[in-house]
Amino acid sequence: MNIEQLILATATFGSLFAVMTVCLNIQYARGGMINFGTVAYFAVGAYTYAIFTHEPPSGLDRYVFGFDFPWYIGFLAAGIASLLFAVLTGWPTLRLRGEYLALTTFAFAEVLHSVLLNERRLGNGSVGLSNVERIDFTQFGLADKYGYALAAVLLLIATIVLCRRILASPYGRAVDAIRDDEVAAQSVGKDVQRMRFEVFLISALPIGFAGALYAMITTLVNPMLFTAEVTFFVWIALVLGGERTIKGAVLGTIALVAFEELIRNFHFESVRGAEIASSIEHMMTGVIFILVLRLQPFEKIKTWRAAQ
Amino acid sequence: MSILIAQYLVAGVVTGCFLIVATLGFSLTRQVEGFLNIAHAELLGISAFILWSLVNLAGWYFIPSAVIAVGITAVLGLFIGRVVYDPIRKFGPAVVLISSVGVAYVLGGGLDAVVGTGVRTMDIPLATSYRFFGVRITDYQMAVIAMAAVTGLSLALFMSKTTTGLTIRAMSDNPELAASRGIDVVKTSRATWLLSSGLAGLGGVSLALIATLSTDIAFQQILTIIAVAILAGLGSLYSVLIAGQVVGIAMDMSVLWLPAGYRPLIAFALVIVVLLVRPQGLSGKST
Amino acid sequence: MTPSNSIIEVRGLRKQFGGLKAVGGDTGVSFEVPRGKITGLIGPNGAGKSTTFNLISGVLKPTAGSVFYNGEPLSNKKTSEITAAGLSRTFQTPRSFPTLTVLENVVVGASSPGEWLRTALVGGWRSNEQDTLEKAQLALNTVGLAERANDEVTNLSGGELRMLEVARQLVRDPDVLLLDEPTAGVDPGLQNRLRKLLLDLHEKGTTLVVVEHNLHFLLEIAHQIVVLQNGELLAAGTPQDIKANPKVVSAYLGDEHAA
Repeated sequence: MNIEQLILATATFGSLFAVMTVCLNIQYARGGMINFGTVAYFAVGAYTYAIFTHEPPSGLDRYVFGFDFPWYIGFLAAGIASLLFAVLTGWPTLRLRGEYLALTTFAFAEVLHSVLLNERRLGNGSVGLSNVERIDFTQFGLADKYGYALAAVLLLIATIVLCRRILASPYGRAVDAIRDDEVAAQSVGKDVQRMRFEVFLISALPIGFAGALYAMITTLVNPMLFTAEVTFFVWIALVLGGERTIKGAVLGTIALVAFEELIRNFHFESVRGAEIASSIEHMMTGVIFILVLRLQPFEKIKTWRAAQ
Repeated sequence: MSILIAQYLVAGVVTGCFLIVATLGFSLTRQVEGFLNIAHAELLGISAFILWSLVNLAGWYFIPSAVIAVGITAVLGLFIGRVVYDPIRKFGPAVVLISSVGVAYVLGGGLDAVVGTGVRTMDIPLATSYRFFGVRITDYQMAVIAMAAVTGLSLALFMSKTTTGLTIRAMSDNPELAASRGIDVVKTSRATWLLSSGLAGLGGVSLALIATLSTDIAFQQILTIIAVAILAGLGSLYSVLIAGQVVGIAMDMSVLWLPAGYRPLIAFALVIVVLLVRPQGLSGKST
Repeated sequence: MTPSNSIIEVRGLRKQFGGLKAVGGDTGVSFEVPRGKITGLIGPNGAGKSTTFNLISGVLKPTAGSVFYNGEPLSNKKTSEITAAGLSRTFQTPRSFPTLTVLENVVVGASSPGEWLRTALVGGWRSNEQDTLEKAQLALNTVGLAERANDEVTNLSGGELRMLEVARQLVRDPDVLLLDEPTAGVDPGLQNRLRKLLLDLHEKGTTLVVVEHNLHFLLEIAHQIVVLQNGELLAAGTPQDIKANPKVVSAYLGDEHAA
């Protein structure tokens, strides 16, 4: 097992996915909204980046759009696209709560997945787009793998700074109040609908950027990369770290990614062996998830600390 | 052309019948236990594969295998309900919903580990086709329709004539009132888990008859089941019968206008439309 | 009373839930709330007090008739608009924000420019924040919760939560404060504090509307009392008028005639 590779992969993908977990933390723990469609914004970011930076179609290519822009244009477009998609799919948040919101967001993500899979004109359907434009890190004097790890970490830090800034202000206090008691918050003039919608939108932006970065790292976009598995992965990471804090969101994600990378790096004698390991890892993740939800260790730690 | 439409209609009815059986248990859990059990679909997969192993690997006859599969699934569902869900009910339906994802992971992972990936077909005689007015239908498809009809009827009778059924209905209508009237909440809850998981088991049997099996088939079904449940709305299991047919027929007839790959999208789009336009669904009752 | 002296006007107000005529019967209820005075709203259970209260605060829309606030109809306004216009209310069962401290619970009552996303991102709300914090502490002093500022809301008693709610609305400098059964479940000591608080608010010019079950409390502080029964207006007038009104005495005061 290559330790350096393991650490690098954990740092890169851990930070990347932690961006999503942090945003989910904002939406759920602070905003009180359950978003089961997180992967959709990730996918929109990734595909937008790929489409914006790809060469125009030629020969046997089935896709229609390819703008061949430089990477920073694509990156920016990814965030904006994710934001727009959030505008499109976020207005149910104005009226729906709890499980109904969860289902609507889940359904939107599946609709997107279905469209990406079937519409060859958009992203080449099930084949996807490959040879996605990457950043040339050599101009910074870095090898690619270090460059991307750094980029991911920087994106995570930027996301955390953004979230902290918003939440430490009266805005954050109002959001907390709305989450605690919507009716009471309304009685002191808080515009519940506007604030919930805004929280939903602003937290979609970093997810779009993360998607673009992901596309660069994997060098391809394909519908199979963007399934509900990603959404549930982020949710499990969120719960593992205790949904309440940003720090917990980051730690939970890194732990989960490290766990997966560890399993992935084991060498198995057979394909079947690897399959079984992956399945067992799946099961264990589920068990830990349920246990954390059941035993609420973070609440207990908090109460224990307060009693000291 | 009209024969083609009729053909798709028949396919839709069959799908609808499968969906009815698959969703009845899901709606029951929602109404009585109060949350959406994402892991319900995994029970379908488990039942289907138990059936497959007994028939293909052990060489048993179909019907006793089906009975065993349904039975095991029912007990498994009961176990999960008591051990996993009951202790966290107090945290609210949102938390239980999220944790049912964890349960789905465990069940799905377990199924993957034991069975392995890849597509399987049931080792049963090839389907025999019959023709009615130029429309083709196989005996298995008719079996699925029959299963749905029998299940629906039996459930209706059970819920209106037996004591357990009536107490389950009382509990779903008004849990506090039911408890104060001396209904044994724990026993009724157990009965509900057995019933809804058993129904999932039956759904798995239907699935095995009309579809090719793979271990991820369960997860693919959950959104369709959710669509039927949402369309049906709370408060009535009868509306599931209608909603199941609507979704099944809509999905299968959509291939007349849309590429086949979009078939599942009908279900997703339906979820969105119903939740935004009329969240209470057909039956019209809200939480 | 000339219209400009009434900050709230209720005209022909009716509210029906399905077949149930909760307020206003067939003809509707009409009365006025004079500016700067304390008006009490009373009636036995089922009289329609809560429904009327919710209609006046804009939470419920009337089936017929209207509620005018400062001459403008209330029915087409959002709750946030209504509170921004100076109409505040408390709740029968006190509501609070458990994840915020006591002081924060009050601070959040005020509308801050920092509550707009752009300002939160760009900054510039801090100066306003300082002012609000002082106002909040002052409000806590007024209701007698000064020392509890950094306490957790979960440690407060029911009566203290009630006071906290009032403080939260006070920080908004409301023109009208609607109180929903403020003395419910409150011990006599706290009731005295409450009475003094309401009189202080009245001194400052705030119009008060107090919905109560406790007529004794109202008789002591109200300038006008509106009596409801079965959703209809039974009587309206000064405490003297009400005490002397035979209909009120027989319908309601009969067993309460310890005043």
